[in-house]
Amino acid sequence: MPRFAIALAAALASVFVTGAALAAPVRTPHVEAELVSERTAFVPGQTTTVALRLKMADGWHTYWQNPGDSGLPTTLAWKLPPGMAAGPIRWPAPEALPAGPLVNYGYEREVLLLTDIKVPRDAPIGETLALGAKAEWLVCKETCIPEDVQLDLVLPVAERADPYPQWSKAIAATRDALPTAAPGWLAAARGDGQKVVVTLTAPAGAPTPTGVHFFPFDEGRIEPSAKQTFAREANGTFVLTLPVANQLAPGFTRVAGVLVAANGFASGADVPKAIAIEASLTGAVVAGPKPALAQVPALNVPPPVPAGEGLSLLAALVFAFLGGIVLNLMPCVFPVLSIKALALAAPGHGNKQKLRLEGLAFSAGVIATFVLLAGMLLAFRAAGEQFGWGFQLQSPGVVTSLAVLFFVLALNLSGAFEFASLVPSSAAGWTAHNPVVNAALSGVLAVVIASPCTAPFMGAALGFALSQPAALTLLVFVALGIGMALPFLLLSWFPGWRRMLPKPGAWMVHLKQFLAFPLYATVAWLVWVLGAQVDNDAVVRLLVTLVAVAFVLWAWRTYRVGASRAYSVVAAVGLAATAYVAWPLFAGTPEHDAQTSASARATAGAGDQWQAWSPARVSELTSAGKAVFVDFTAAWCVTCQVNKRLVLNDAGVRDAFADRGVELVRADWTRRDPVIGQALGALGRQGVPVYVLYRPGKEPLLLPEVLQKQTVLDALATIDGGAPKAALLDHRTR
Amino acid sequence: MLANTFRTFCSMAFALAVATSWAAAPGTAAPDFTLTDTAGKPVKLSDYKGKFVVLEWTNPDCPFVQAQYNAGAMQPLQKEWGAKDVVWLSINSTNKDHGEYKTPTQMNAWMKDKQAAPKAVLLDSTSATGRAYAAKTTPHMFVIDPAGKIVYNGAIDDKRSARESDRKSANNYVRAALTEATAGKPVTVASTSPYGCSIKY
Repeated sequence: MPRFAIALAAALASVFVTGAALAAPVRTPHVEAELVSERTAFVPGQTTTVALRLKMADGWHTYWQNPGDSGLPTTLAWKLPPGMAAGPIRWPAPEALPAGPLVNYGYEREVLLLTDIKVPRDAPIGETLALGAKAEWLVCKETCIPEDVQLDLVLPVAERADPYPQWSKAIAATRDALPTAAPGWLAAARGDGQKVVVTLTAPAGAPTPTGVHFFPFDEGRIEPSAKQTFAREANGTFVLTLPVANQLAPGFTRVAGVLVAANGFASGADVPKAIAIEASLTGAVVAGPKPALAQVPALNVPPPVPAGEGLSLLAALVFAFLGGIVLNLMPCVFPVLSIKALALAAPGHGNKQKLRLEGLAFSAGVIATFVLLAGMLLAFRAAGEQFGWGFQLQSPGVVTSLAVLFFVLALNLSGAFEFASLVPSSAAGWTAHNPVVNAALSGVLAVVIASPCTAPFMGAALGFALSQPAALTLLVFVALGIGMALPFLLLSWFPGWRRMLPKPGAWMVHLKQFLAFPLYATVAWLVWVLGAQVDNDAVVRLLVTLVAVAFVLWAWRTYRVGASRAYSVVAAVGLAATAYVAWPLFAGTPEHDAQTSASARATAGAGDQWQAWSPARVSELTSAGKAVFVDFTAAWCVTCQVNKRLVLNDAGVRDAFADRGVELVRADWTRRDPVIGQALGALGRQGVPVYVLYRPGKEPLLLPEVLQKQTVLDALATIDGGAPKAALLDHRTR
Repeated sequence: MLANTFRTFCSMAFALAVATSWAAAPGTAAPDFTLTDTAGKPVKLSDYKGKFVVLEWTNPDCPFVQAQYNAGAMQPLQKEWGAKDVVWLSINSTNKDHGEYKTPTQMNAWMKDKQAAPKAVLLDSTSATGRAYAAKTTPHMFVIDPAGKIVYNGAIDDKRSARESDRKSANNYVRAALTEATAGKPVTVASTSPYGCSIKY
């Protein structure tokens, strides 16, 4: 007998021996459905688990018991032999599935909906029993299709049952992961007008849950697309704030649902990722506000795994401190601080005590300004604004102001004018007589002029700081300020270094003039940023503004050093002309930004194989089964530009993208764009660069901020099999 | 820089306040809109002040909408209340770029085929009106009183399914709301969770 025939006979025999029914799955155009059993037989008097297995086509989903904003839960209507009883569906934790601005709760890919079946005591051993069920579901992608199928499951009745080879593991795993009340986690709920505040008490030693999202069992309780917040309180409890549904159903007296966390609710392996919570609602709730239906819903996608654990507080502070020191060497800061330091060396600058006081005042100015900046940023983010670090360079008005500031400073270093000659001698004298105030203001100026450099070089690091609790964020910024102020403070504290300088003389003038050039270079860079942000007209407008500023300075200085009053009139007219030319660069209102950002996004990728980013475009490509690489970038982000030139534009990398048919998508954050801001937030990042590789059938990969060619090639290799190298896996997203 | 940021902040706060005060919940003012109907004429909600208005969010490709029309559940409502001077406006907020978008001609043909009788069929292809009402599903129903207040917001009926056979036994919330409201009584069930297909924003 041929070998395969023996195998076939053996397989058939085993079917008869175990009695397992080979009911083929029922296939609809988008769903494969069947009833599967954990055990090979029904044992009289016992309860066994069966499951409705739904396998959805790529990009299609079915719904949870509460479908969210739209959709319909899957239902099972049983037809059972006498004496048999089926329990309700035991639902696995759902996923939040955005549908445009709406949010649905359901399942993609494959799901096992469990049901417990009670077998009667008098079930006749040796016979078979047939379970019938009519399964109905709504399956949706871009469109929705209601489907229903008739399913059967035929199993023998036996004294003992074995695990069903194909399904027992999957069913057991699904059952273990079912959201159940977790030991030690206690919930209390209080209605507070348009929100519900759930206080969770964690068992001792539980980790801080991240990426937390609450799914209510019932509709008409919590608004699906509105933002939920989750925070740790000082006393160690957690507070979950849930927005009440706009169409509040009556009888909201209990908060009951599933709480999902990316890292689970206990330490160790195999921890539950989802738990059920239930609490009676004290206080009162009223219907929530109309949901905003923003472009992208405010989902709490799990933030990057290493956050908090990966970088300790101490390490974050040390990095910030070192970063602050390095800031002194940045082309935008170094010239100005060098001149300031050299001024200390000027003969007769004052005694030791006064010098130290100035150093301290300068440090205080630097630190206070950093804290003020961080505080402002936190306040805006708390108000729901999509600001990341680098926000200061996203407004044409700010870029213009900085370009003018650097240009004026550069002209000063070049010797075109002295600041003292511009202001009334009383004012000049006042700062001279109040060196402490003067030093503190210098500190403020130092941070302001450092701002274009912190965004490009430190955006990612400061973005990390912003993802931490507010107190920690402020601490990191304080460390940054201390680092930045330290060199100057040391120079003023230990004036001994002055002896090592050559005698004051012409070299100081030459050095000062030389140091103007890094500032001119900064101006050139800012002009380029503005060009990328707005258009060529804006560049010309800025250049004309700079010329006008130089003219005004010249006219005013000429008047101040004793020329005719006419020059002051000329300066005033010049100033008016400057304002007139520059005004449109400041006049772009936020509303205008919002309108133009969509069209800006649409044109961002034009010209090469990079497509413009939009949430819809990405989901379209991924649901078509394509691999997609997204480059979140900005013109003012130097790290982004370096990565682009050295890695993404590299011929080898481009070939690798082409070989694997990866769709290239670019999101340009040069201008403020709330949709991109939200997308970054959803990825757990607060600034650019961010690189995401969406792989068909796998979790998206987040690549590191500083790209290496090999990193990208390794990531691409994981598209069709192979686990990514651990080092490459910076963070994983949902 | 500070001024610029501050301005952004203020305008956001203002926008938030406005958005909140415009919440399209029962008892609140119905956001006004002007949309073009399938005959090409502009239709302005506030022109109907003094009359009851029903807004029906619809999409011919949605099985929940099909169930209503194939079972003959929606059309009699439109005729019955249209005869009582209630203005019935069917709105399609499907985004122009979506595969289910229908041109005015296609909408008209479908409505005619179903023997539907709304006062007008409005195209909201930018979805702006849908967003203003936070309409979520098709169908999603609103009843507006003569003073321009929303007196019902939610599902078409209480049988949450796409089955034609369920329509007969379903309790129709819109009929109930119109019956009470036109008799000068307060609406008992003024808010329910809508059900159906998501609106294709």
